[in-house]
Amino acid sequence: MAARAKKTSKIEDDRSSLFDEEFLKKLEYLHMVSRKTFVGLNRADRRMRKIGSGIEFADHRKYSTGDDFRYIDWNVYGRIDKLLLRLFEEEEDLHIYILLDASKSMLIGDPLKLHYAMQMAAALTYVGLANLDRVGIVPFSEGLHTHLPVARGKGRIFKVFDFLRGIEAGGPTKLEEAATSFIHRYKRKGLVVVISDFYDPSGFEEGINSLRYNGFEPFVLQIYDEKEVNPSFHGDLTLVDCETGSAKEITVSKSLIEAYKREHEKYCGELSDFCSQKNIPYFRTHTKIAFDELVLKIFRLGGFLK
Amino acid sequence: MNLLAPIASGTIATVAAVLAGLLVLAYILKMRRRRFEVPFSTLWQRVLKEKEATSLWRHLKRLLSLLLLVTMVGLLLFAALEPELGGAREDARSIVIIVDASASMKTIDEGEDGSESRMAAARKQVLLLLDGMSADDAIMLMRMDGRATPLSRFHGDLAKHRKTLSTIEASDTPANLTASLSAAADALRWRKKPQIILVGDGAYPEDALASATWESVADAPASPPASEPEPGASAFKNKQLASVDLAGIDVRYQPVGSAASNVGIISFNVRRYISNKLNYEVFIEIQNFSDEPATRRLVLFNGDSEIDVKEIQLAPGQRITKIYPDLGGGAESVLRARIESLESESSDAFALDDEAWALMPENKRQKVLLVSTDNLYMEGALLIFDHLDVDKLTPEEYEVSLAANELQDYDAVIYHLYAPENVLPAPAHLLYFKPSGPHSPFPVTGSLDRGRITQVSQTHPITRWLEMGDVNFDKLDTFAVDTSAAEVSLFQSIRSSVAAAKKEGRRKVAAFGFGLEGTDVMLRVAFPLMMVNTLDWFAGADSDLITTYTTGRPARVPLDGTYGISEVLVTTPSGAHQKAPLREGYATFFAAEVGVHKLVARQGDEDVAEIQLAANLSNASESDIQPSAELSLGGKKLDRPVPGSATPRQSLWIYLCLMVLLLLLVEWYTFNRRITV
Repeated sequence: MAARAKKTSKIEDDRSSLFDEEFLKKLEYLHMVSRKTFVGLNRADRRMRKIGSGIEFADHRKYSTGDDFRYIDWNVYGRIDKLLLRLFEEEEDLHIYILLDASKSMLIGDPLKLHYAMQMAAALTYVGLANLDRVGIVPFSEGLHTHLPVARGKGRIFKVFDFLRGIEAGGPTKLEEAATSFIHRYKRKGLVVVISDFYDPSGFEEGINSLRYNGFEPFVLQIYDEKEVNPSFHGDLTLVDCETGSAKEITVSKSLIEAYKREHEKYCGELSDFCSQKNIPYFRTHTKIAFDELVLKIFRLGGFLK
Repeated sequence: MNLLAPIASGTIATVAAVLAGLLVLAYILKMRRRRFEVPFSTLWQRVLKEKEATSLWRHLKRLLSLLLLVTMVGLLLFAALEPELGGAREDARSIVIIVDASASMKTIDEGEDGSESRMAAARKQVLLLLDGMSADDAIMLMRMDGRATPLSRFHGDLAKHRKTLSTIEASDTPANLTASLSAAADALRWRKKPQIILVGDGAYPEDALASATWESVADAPASPPASEPEPGASAFKNKQLASVDLAGIDVRYQPVGSAASNVGIISFNVRRYISNKLNYEVFIEIQNFSDEPATRRLVLFNGDSEIDVKEIQLAPGQRITKIYPDLGGGAESVLRARIESLESESSDAFALDDEAWALMPENKRQKVLLVSTDNLYMEGALLIFDHLDVDKLTPEEYEVSLAANELQDYDAVIYHLYAPENVLPAPAHLLYFKPSGPHSPFPVTGSLDRGRITQVSQTHPITRWLEMGDVNFDKLDTFAVDTSAAEVSLFQSIRSSVAAAKKEGRRKVAAFGFGLEGTDVMLRVAFPLMMVNTLDWFAGADSDLITTYTTGRPARVPLDGTYGISEVLVTTPSGAHQKAPLREGYATFFAAEVGVHKLVARQGDEDVAEIQLAANLSNASESDIQPSAELSLGGKKLDRPVPGSATPRQSLWIYLCLMVLLLLLVEWYTFNRRITV
């Protein structure tokens, strides 16, 4: 009990220094780099083609009773004697949702995977907010946790930090249930960045597919700890699943470690292949890679910023 | 293969059972695994599914691991039984070799030029004996001086015995043959073919040689023959119990030493005179143990100063006694006597008894306060003792001086016909004559008219040499004496105590139920004696105190003023330190060296009491260094030892331990390679 309390307090301590001044400097740098590198190249990629009240001409359509007279194109009427309405292209804000895995398995690693995921979420949110996109953060485990509503504006970044610091982690990973809840809650389509270790016993496919089928654009970011890939323990052990609590007595030998490594690689490969087949951007990283380096990598690949 | 079995098989079996239990328990405990938290056990389960097929082999390997541990423990226990290669022989003997390391073994008369000690010769003889031992003989080495000390258990490792033998040196104590034979006989009880080999010079007392019996004490009749008169029965039983039972034991004797002459001091002591404690008297006894007449110079020292030199002539075997009366002066309390040849300082082959020490009891000056009205008899009695400084005060002056805190440095206070409420603080000792009232040290229970003293304590220092039967008293006060509180009744009239003494921490208190009025006690010899006895008891100066002891015997030394201290620190003449127990004011101490010993009782960092004592050989049997080529024990002449048939032997325990080490390495390697489990 005492050990657990100690562990919890350690996590809180770590969180307090997660978003310090150094972190903010890195975010600002990322924002500058994103503007310099991507403005003009990918800007149109994320534009929503919706006819509305914009200023850029898009098309004509036939006048119907009740249409606003102000949009009748009188020049065309003069030439061809038909009442046509002028349609303009409407630019719509991009909605970015960050689905952050806050299950118990994210509380493993050095640094904790959750902390790393939080920094990633903060960085992506900042860049999104700075580009005047609307960004929301939704932590999940077996369901959705308290979320940060979608909002816009760079000034909200400190609220984002506070929210991230206050996330309560726990529970097993159930991506499908979390995705279903997310779809029911958020009607506005947009980009969904899923940051998770994807250690879901029931699989990751259904959850990601649910997002796709409902018009969201998933963006998969898998985080793992190096120790998970190269376990350093050996001998007679009782392995306990941190999420389910199920225990298994095993004798860990060198060959068993090798078999486990292969299995882990295979599992990650399945996720990568799945994303590749569905044309979903996929990134895999371990917690020792600096978060800003990873964010730049994401920018270079494109698809995140409009 | 032969098992020496130095540990009883029952003990080995018990240890084996306990170890087996502990081993299984430890093995079960070993199976309790460390818990390790993983984020996604599904992956491990997938891997383990593939490995399930090998689980049977894994269990088998665990059993093999347990078997390996049991084997290692079994090998260690087997090593403890000391197995040796070579079959057990029926004629294997159990031998105790008693090596004489008594004082006489310091005699220098061995070797080609006579410059080797008997001890060195004895070691050589034992080495020869060991070389001739049979492979199956189990040998124990025992050192004999003032005590019998086994130096090994029974085993046949000759290298170990040789190493042990090289450490034996002669001591300053006489040989205790009875104790050594008794210890050897006890060690050999129930062993096959028991044998004792005594290696020494035969300088043993006649009574020790006669104390051995070749008939089993258990088989001997419990009572003397019917014809013997009844009073002899007790002596017969005591003799049986005191004798050393050597029944069934083959005892042999290997002599060392050659003919040598010796003149030695066999007694040396000093005492102070009771009446004049500044002077003392010295007693010395010297004997010529050779067959030739001898002339020696006898020198007496006080500290390092010679106080007397005499030339003495001794006929063969002659013993002379010298008394030096009425000696005085000399600052030192240590007296030393030395006999020298006229040619050189080294007089003979045995130098240990050429020198002896004696210590004069400390002459303590005492400051005494007499609280009394004019009392000529009391003052007269105190004046005759030179070591007393006496002051006199009347009771009124005493009260005033005590209140003014002017009475500080007195060792003893005498109250005559007076028992004040306020007395001098401890450690001032108190003597009362006819105390009365509520402040009497002993409650006064009554008074006897024309009473007489009918009984005098036989043990208390105050009543030593006192005869009080013909002393007349008009009145005798009686005291209530609480013997359960260690109060002692000194004089009794019929059954009533009329004088008593007690100790209150560091203070001593005595009270007499009479004054010097209405009695003729002050006209008797007993009166000054009673006074000096009392004041000596107060000062801890015991005129019967013995400060000169013989080596090799436990000495009981009184240390005055030691309360609540359980041990004293002894500094031996060679400067070594040892501790000795202290019980009820007496230290029990075994002197192993000749010379002056110092005993100090400490409480915390403070030295509470200190005494010096001298230890001398003072043993005529030990000084008689003529070696005995033949020795008779209990009337039976002892034969020389015979060698056994030497056969090769090989101890296996070291190989067994190496095997265990090898198995441990295998276990360690396989564990680290994850092969074992």
